[in-house]
Amino acid sequence: MVQRNDDVTRRRFLRDGLWGACLAGIGGVAGYAAHKSQRTDWVWQIDPYKCIACGNCATYCVLEESAVKCTHVHAICGYCKICFGFFDPEPYQINEGAENQMCPTGAIRRKYVEDPYYEYTIDEPLCNGCGKCVKGCNAFGNGSLFLQVRHDLCVNCNQCAIAAACPSQAFRRAPADHPYLLKSVDHA
Amino acid sequence: MNQPQGKTDSGVVIGALIGTAVLVAIGALLLVDSTGRGGSGLSDAYELDAVKMARFDPNLIACHEVEPAIATGFARSRALTLDGEGRLYIAGDKAVHVLSAEGTLERVIAVSGEPRCVAVSSEGRIYVGLRNRVEVFDAAGERLAAWEPLGDRSFLSSILVAGDSVFVADAGNAVVQRYDKTGKAINRIGEKDPTRDIPGFLVPSPYFDLALAPDGLLRVVSPGRTRVEAYTFDGDLEFAWGENSIRIHGFCGCCNPVNIAMLPDGRYVTAEKGLIRVKIYDADGTFQSVVAGPDQLVEGGAARVFENAEDAEASGFDVAVDAAGRIFVLDTIENKVRVFVENQKGRSE
Repeated sequence: MVQRNDDVTRRRFLRDGLWGACLAGIGGVAGYAAHKSQRTDWVWQIDPYKCIACGNCATYCVLEESAVKCTHVHAICGYCKICFGFFDPEPYQINEGAENQMCPTGAIRRKYVEDPYYEYTIDEPLCNGCGKCVKGCNAFGNGSLFLQVRHDLCVNCNQCAIAAACPSQAFRRAPADHPYLLKSVDHA
Repeated sequence: MNQPQGKTDSGVVIGALIGTAVLVAIGALLLVDSTGRGGSGLSDAYELDAVKMARFDPNLIACHEVEPAIATGFARSRALTLDGEGRLYIAGDKAVHVLSAEGTLERVIAVSGEPRCVAVSSEGRIYVGLRNRVEVFDAAGERLAAWEPLGDRSFLSSILVAGDSVFVADAGNAVVQRYDKTGKAINRIGEKDPTRDIPGFLVPSPYFDLALAPDGLLRVVSPGRTRVEAYTFDGDLEFAWGENSIRIHGFCGCCNPVNIAMLPDGRYVTAEKGLIRVKIYDADGTFQSVVAGPDQLVEGGAARVFENAEDAEASGFDVAVDAAGRIFVLDTIENKVRVFVENQKGRSE
């Protein structure tokens, strides 16, 4: 039997195989690094300037407790004594009594700071994202209360059920490294 | 080959299953509201009903509108004033537009920033308040002076010329600064001072207006207290009036009225944001009548402002009054000036 010169010897096979493996490894590492540096993860978020606080966020989320919560930017807040995100439009008295509060779940806390200023904070576990306070604050106040998807709760569905049910198209994708769309003081 | 009796063809079973699945899928598509048009399904307790809040007795409307409205020519109008001859000075974008009493554009005065307020002296000088400084122009629009800027915290929201003084309402610092006409500071009005029984202005949002009443006293709005306070030029608080209420006789929300003007007979014209209402109070501060409510002032009514953050931000309408008592309302949503006349005056004219 005639042996051909270009037959693969064991030594050659091992050498070429090693080279190939090295090149594949280098290429793989480079590709992975390039992919990692360019890849952007996206999450769902609400544009607060488009949101009309319709209430759908409270009921359309696939989670039992909606991932949408009210957010408060204190830099915009007027620390009003009579906050229309907190008080019923016709309160019996200006105090924290449940009968005077607008939030159906009592998710806003009111704390005296100094005369005549009060601080308002959101008790997130109680907030269901209905947006009633957002409407009141937008219309009468500075709009410092608004809805945001909380990413410690959101499961980031490919097709968000609330986004599909949003009548004002306020839901959009935001980069995961800047997942919140907050209102700014200088907007007005 | 014959099918054994009592046995079902597996094709029929599979077909029935597929058919059932298709029917279920179609039913689900029809029954499930995937667009949100069905509403949230929340109870009335979660509803903030703007239409209900805006409701008032229509018989209280004592004015009618004189058509047509005057276009401001701005994308973002901010303030309005009139001179003694009825010319309109409208501040917006980065200019002041001067319009004749008939609404014809006479002059455009370019300003170095976004003007927040404007006033005209009896000599025809135009004082423009920007965020934290005042610029002065002559009647032809030539810039005469730019006063020393106030601090970074300042946010000028209203300006008034009275006699030899210029009063500037600084919403950022919740104080009225009095200057002479050269820009030299004279005194500050409304700072908290228990020894003079002055509670201090409460200004939660960038609306803080002032006007001069026929009695010679300043009228300054303390919006966070939903009242109007009367001060001497030296800063003594004389009296105050105003009540917080969603009802038509009061000022609604956290911080109203946003703007005021004085009628020649000493009555007040007030403008509120949120529930956009323009009303008239008598010289003692007793509610008298409605110039126009949300349904008259906003296309889409009160609900529009409650459902749109941008419209809500722009809902601080300005008001001005001419010597004949006509009421000019600067619609900062639609960027036009609407003119209202009291019904009795309208009939007599």
